[in-house]
Amino acid sequence: MPKSQALAIAFVAPALLVLAAILGWPLVSAVLLSLQDVKTIGSQGQWIGFQNYAGVISNPAFWRSVAMSVAWVVANAVIQTVLALVAALTLHQNFPGVKIARTWIILTWIVPTVVVVIIWRWLFSTSGGMINPLLMQTGIVERPVGFFSTPWTAMATLIFINSWRWFPFIALMMLAGLTRIPSDLYEAARIDGANGWKRFTRITWPLLAPTLSVLAIVGTLLSFNVFDIIWLLTAGGPAGGTRTLPVMIYETAFKGYRLSEAATISVFATILLMVFALAATRLLAREGENR
Amino acid sequence: MAELQIRGLRKAFGDTEVISNVDLTVKDGEFVVFVGPSGCGKSTLLRMIAGLETATAGNISIDGRDVSNADPSKRGIAMVFQTYALYPHMTVEENMGFGLEMSGVPSAERKRLVRKAAETLHLEPYLARKPRQLSGGQRQRVAIGRAIVRDPKIFLFDEPLSNLDAELRVRMRIEIAKLHSDLGATMIYVTHDQVEAMTLASRIVVLRDGRIEQVGTPMELYNDPDNRFVAGFIGSPKMNFVPVRVKGRTESGAVKLEVEALGLKDFAILPRNPSAPIEGSIFLGIRPEHFEPAGTAGGATVRLPVGAIEHLGGISYAYSDPGQETSLAAEIRGMPDLKAGSEVTLTVRPQTCLLFSQSGERL
Amino acid sequence: MRRSLASNILLAFSITFLVLLIGLPFWWVLSGSFKLPQEIIARVPTMFPHSFTLQHFGKLLSGSDYPVYMANSLIVAGLSTVITLVLAVPAAYAFFRLAFPGREMLYRAILLAYAFPSIVVLIPLFGMFARIGLIDTLAALVIINVTFALPFSIWMLRSFFASVPKEIEEAAVMDGAPPTVILRRIMIPLVTPGIASVGIFAFISAWTEYVFASVLIVSDARRTVPVGFSGIIGQYQIDWGLLLAGAGLAVLPVVILFALVGRWFVSGLTEGAVK
Repeated sequence: MPKSQALAIAFVAPALLVLAAILGWPLVSAVLLSLQDVKTIGSQGQWIGFQNYAGVISNPAFWRSVAMSVAWVVANAVIQTVLALVAALTLHQNFPGVKIARTWIILTWIVPTVVVVIIWRWLFSTSGGMINPLLMQTGIVERPVGFFSTPWTAMATLIFINSWRWFPFIALMMLAGLTRIPSDLYEAARIDGANGWKRFTRITWPLLAPTLSVLAIVGTLLSFNVFDIIWLLTAGGPAGGTRTLPVMIYETAFKGYRLSEAATISVFATILLMVFALAATRLLAREGENR
Repeated sequence: MAELQIRGLRKAFGDTEVISNVDLTVKDGEFVVFVGPSGCGKSTLLRMIAGLETATAGNISIDGRDVSNADPSKRGIAMVFQTYALYPHMTVEENMGFGLEMSGVPSAERKRLVRKAAETLHLEPYLARKPRQLSGGQRQRVAIGRAIVRDPKIFLFDEPLSNLDAELRVRMRIEIAKLHSDLGATMIYVTHDQVEAMTLASRIVVLRDGRIEQVGTPMELYNDPDNRFVAGFIGSPKMNFVPVRVKGRTESGAVKLEVEALGLKDFAILPRNPSAPIEGSIFLGIRPEHFEPAGTAGGATVRLPVGAIEHLGGISYAYSDPGQETSLAAEIRGMPDLKAGSEVTLTVRPQTCLLFSQSGERL
Repeated sequence: MRRSLASNILLAFSITFLVLLIGLPFWWVLSGSFKLPQEIIARVPTMFPHSFTLQHFGKLLSGSDYPVYMANSLIVAGLSTVITLVLAVPAAYAFFRLAFPGREMLYRAILLAYAFPSIVVLIPLFGMFARIGLIDTLAALVIINVTFALPFSIWMLRSFFASVPKEIEEAAVMDGAPPTVILRRIMIPLVTPGIASVGIFAFISAWTEYVFASVLIVSDARRTVPVGFSGIIGQYQIDWGLLLAGAGLAVLPVVILFALVGRWFVSGLTEGAVK
């Protein structure tokens, strides 16, 4: 029935057009940019083929950024998963106030990034913050810790802050997965004499695994792209210690005025993500079949 | 006139045929029931008549007009869904009037028609309520009311009673039968419950694996099934089937049999077509309710071991070898003290027995 | 199900842990914004404020362009939400129920939209917007926000549509309702929680968006809260009180919104995550 097809197309066309124009076209144009030597925005550039690509690949700073992005993504995934799991399991229980808790746990995610930045910039600061005095008072450290002063601590601190921001969102999705596990399974297990830990490892974990895998992939994609938190807190420093790929792209384009080079790095980053996404979804699909 | 004609209807998903070559005519005012085991295609067939599923081949005509490609709402039919499919956010009145609204019937006229249908079904007190405030039986009546309001040529029912409890099901069954006699409309009804089929239908269509096995009145299917499948499907408990050995034919065409399972040496049964040859091993079918008390005239005496017995009050069911394929079930009256482990003497008359070939055809 | 003592203790621990982890920072910020400057930077920080002052808020609201930033953010977030819904609802329904060529492929392509860094499109988009004259306009931000909210919104709405029993749609078809009417009169009323969830998601994403807002908006008059705020950080590097007050105010609108409709968003996330 062609008439209903036309209607269907009319339903999706506006959304698709927006996506094509704002995402699709710029992607193409970024690739085109990477093949030129445009420096500042709006200036003309000449076609130089794959020179930029060669330049980027041979630049050790690029590979350092790649490593940093990978480390960033992995660390975030691990910490967020752990925190989210704790939160999801807790929210899955019945206790007074659990309904309120379920609504408000996501507070750290609904808050603008800048607020997150300010909160933690203040809390972690060496003068006037709250964390350092607390640590010193309880005798854990003797001198104030410079959370942002060395590459390692800065990275670790950023990972913590980003995880703090995102874990409730992941937790809620996990909670969805948990609620879908039939409660009679747990009751049967109880009658069989399984204790809490056993019930977790033999029922909860296996049945939650598919949800967790999907979340891991989605979470990875999302955390790769995080830019504002890093930029506002450390601007990629100290000494490039937190310069993930998005940060490097931004710097190259808007601070280094090397637009085409930035586009090239973007293309590499996209390829990296796409490869990961495809590999991960294929792995998931195969896992799903094996079950 | 609301006659339905289906010719050569086929539906296939790739290589899988769901409906194969169905031909059927439903006459005006008939109550036809599609019945069969799960997956036989009865619901699919109904939905194709409704227009909710497309056909791969064949056509459907209502009152001589080919509706095979027509919009469901333009075929002159109305459907009552298994889950009632009432719009949860609308009142009963709005639910029933929605179809009229879509046809452009003005509000005052809509109200009138809805009220009329509501009267027929005793739904007036509920017109302002939402579905979630109604009981299962009331929701069902609203679903029926929604269909009535559209004054369709043909009513389609898709297992409407499956979601009701047993007692309600009996009551609603009678109400639907009454509705049919009141309205005199053509109705097509899908169910997996052969009791509903037997009690409601003017004609039954038995389906299996997308094909029609037999079409006939309830009594025709009960007394004169075309094959073993239909014989076993209609009637509860199921008909007993036992292998027999053919010893010869009489002049009149009757088949002389030895029935080991019943301990009968010379049992003569007249097949449907006495002049047709009989080859290979064949089977005898006898319904549990056709075992008659010992000493009945015109029958052969049969002694059955009672492996298990179920007393239901007025009736008892004796099973010769429960758990085995070869077990025989017999309906017995007036023997409330019959115990398992004993034996019961009964009579079997050849007129109540049916013969089937190895492949299941009726002989 | 009664819990053992060990389980109860474990539960209590994790609840406390989570409450502290999430609540404590906010409490510190909130209480800090009311403290006198001396108390904020005191060597021994206080859990409960010993002083009370509104000077930070006063300075914030009168001295900076903060109210302007708020207004801009509200306009951008509001428009982004409305437009996202207007585009996503029909699209989600079409992807779910209607048949058209390339449906599956397009759907997967949309979801892949999240698979590349948004930085990638930043540069070409800046050039594109510059050419059309959309730089330094709120419209540009709305377009960006809608674009990035669409894939998730379509995905989530589609699974909400999937939870409506198919027979209800079929009954509507039998009643003669065309797809537009089915969508408007039947489906949308039945997925209002989903629409609320998506709307909240779109609003919050738009409210917190920083990268594009910082690049595409140049003049102070059109700044949004996140960007304007980071500017204040730069300006008043050490005035913690001002910053804390600003943080409090930046959080306020979302908290109010969430207090009103938050449950729907959460139930949408937890229920809607069904493929």
